[in-house]
Amino acid sequence: MELDTDVPMEDVEDLKQVSTSATSSSTSGKQPTGITSIGGDASVSDAAAAAKKADLNVSSVNQLDQWIDKLSQCEPLAEADVKKLCDMAIEVLQFEENVQPVQVPVTICGDVHGQFHDLMELFKIGGPCPDTNYLFMGDYVDRGYYSVETVSYLVCMKVRYPNRITILRGNHESRQITQVYGFYDECLRKYGSANVWKLFTDLFDYFPITALVDNKVFCLHGGLSPMIETIDQVRELNRIQEVPHEGPMCDLLWSDPDDRGGWGISPRGAGFTFGQDISEQFNHTNDLSLIARAHQLVMEGFSWSHQESVVTIFSAPNYCYRCGNQAAIMEVDEQHNRQFLQYDPSQRPGEPTVTRKTPDYFL
Amino acid sequence: MATPVKRITTRDDLDKWLDSQTFNQVLSFITDLQESIVGKPNDEPITESQIVTQLQAVLDSINTIIDNHPVIQEKDISRFGKVEFRDFYDNVAKQSPSLLSPLLTNQEHTLEIATYFNESWGDRTRIDYGSGHELNFICVLFCLKQLDCITPQDYPGLLLHVFTKYMKTMRRLQKQYWLEPAGSHGVWGLDDYHFLPFLFGAAQLSTHPHMKPKSIHNPELVEMYKNKYMYMECIDFINNIKTTRNGEKLSIRWHSPMLDDISAAKSWAKIKEGMVKMYKVEVLGKLPIMQHFMFGQLIPCPPGVSAPHEHHEDECGHIHSKDLVNTWGDCCGIKIPSAIAASEALKKEQSQKPIPFD
Repeated sequence: MELDTDVPMEDVEDLKQVSTSATSSSTSGKQPTGITSIGGDASVSDAAAAAKKADLNVSSVNQLDQWIDKLSQCEPLAEADVKKLCDMAIEVLQFEENVQPVQVPVTICGDVHGQFHDLMELFKIGGPCPDTNYLFMGDYVDRGYYSVETVSYLVCMKVRYPNRITILRGNHESRQITQVYGFYDECLRKYGSANVWKLFTDLFDYFPITALVDNKVFCLHGGLSPMIETIDQVRELNRIQEVPHEGPMCDLLWSDPDDRGGWGISPRGAGFTFGQDISEQFNHTNDLSLIARAHQLVMEGFSWSHQESVVTIFSAPNYCYRCGNQAAIMEVDEQHNRQFLQYDPSQRPGEPTVTRKTPDYFL
Repeated sequence: MATPVKRITTRDDLDKWLDSQTFNQVLSFITDLQESIVGKPNDEPITESQIVTQLQAVLDSINTIIDNHPVIQEKDISRFGKVEFRDFYDNVAKQSPSLLSPLLTNQEHTLEIATYFNESWGDRTRIDYGSGHELNFICVLFCLKQLDCITPQDYPGLLLHVFTKYMKTMRRLQKQYWLEPAGSHGVWGLDDYHFLPFLFGAAQLSTHPHMKPKSIHNPELVEMYKNKYMYMECIDFINNIKTTRNGEKLSIRWHSPMLDDISAAKSWAKIKEGMVKMYKVEVLGKLPIMQHFMFGQLIPCPPGVSAPHEHHEDECGHIHSKDLVNTWGDCCGIKIPSAIAASEALKKEQSQKPIPFD
């Protein structure tokens, strides 16, 4: 994969702008685009700060590029490097907004669930990052064989190209859920301790929970909440915490659209089901054209609901080696045209290179 | 007659359960069943007692109910499973008391046992199935033992004829209604659906002169022995459902690293012992599973465990609201929290809520 592209200066600039915008509490919702000249209108001290930041970033960029190379071979990072990576990622993610603004064109993706080779396939189908902008709607970990490699890779890309890729939080980016659904087991198996699990689940608290593409497409993992009528109400939430068991933040990560109108009790035990009336009202109130969400397996990789006011996108093909589903991603271009790209599982290169380790129960 | 209800909600409840007489009885029942088929393949000649024959007839009836509820709708629903499962479930729930009553000498506990029986096939709402549902089937057998309808002489027949038939029935249900794995660890679990056929199956192989744990990797051996040994049936099933989209088989290492790791054990005897240790921790000791475990008269709830509050209206007809807890002792014979416990419970309310499904 082409990972080292011709945009290091741009990303240095991006980083600078991220840190600048972070200092003002009300960001305009506009992201920096393209290459601007460094320090053009900055004061001397700003320029010095920027230069310092740029210095830091040259070594960080090299470090990140090394990690990305390693990870793209599906080799996990050393525990110490995961620690460094998570520290760097917190610096970027903590300043993102609950409703992270995203510009078009962008390619929107659903659940990945540790299917690393299929994620690589996704980048082949959608175009390499950072040449293509990506928005992932959560659920990077659990169930698949390579959750560690998958989430490490995406977080590396996020830190390396912060304005080219947005990674939202899914309901699986949680301490409680990962202890049930595999990521915890995987970290124990691959690192011999839960340290890496702890580092990542602590990092997940900083992930933004929703994104707004060009003020028109509202993106989130699960769905709507009866306690949220406007997008501004999402902005007021305190998201830097474990996913709660109830309340608006929980609902945004857990809810599902349903054929029945109104709000319904979710069979999942968290979040709600919401009907077409709710979706249409929400889109109307917030002047949206579409709610894009993930969270549910759909056989074609994408599925419309509520007369095209909601779309579900699922990006893990043949989920759990069992479901026989296609995966899909959705491209949204400058004119807000949408195109779905569907794909099948990648060809896997032989066996995973691990030696058998008899679990303690069987010794 | 008390309808069995879910009781375990906190870590503290779970500890009380793990320390309880009920726990020990259920676990001993499972290990006694396991011991009863050491070295015995599914086709071992055994004399079948009446209860074993009757239980198979009950399972025949379940298969007839499956026949009567084919999947017809190709409707796009929010969950992956087929909605016709709910009709199947409802039909089972309707028929189960009359199916079970011939097994019982008096009918005092029929509805109690039927409650476990109905939950043995999966969750009606979520259309999923996991080791917790499988445990409900064992609860049915355990209740029959409690009522002396089953004696240890019946154990080999219960596993080799009844449990294997239950497994066949479950495979039909899983395939026909696309039951989702309940609480699946994905590739990192033992299996999407089951635990006990591995636990029982390891005993069948534990004295085998030639078969080694690594034989699960040999397609010819799996094919040859899938009808003879429960463990091999499980491997065969997994190999057949966890495939590429073209139906090509994948290495066990890919989709079942846990089974692959277990195949490195020294012997089937180690696996037989290990499965029991693992079952205690990963099933009987796991809150997400045990929060759905039901207690009644035949499977009594350990003392001190939280009062049931999932259904706000208890059989006494009172609404036991969490906000308005009675703080002066027992209500309707069910322990409820003292004032101190109630305030602690409020603090712990987050952790008391059942862990959601995905």
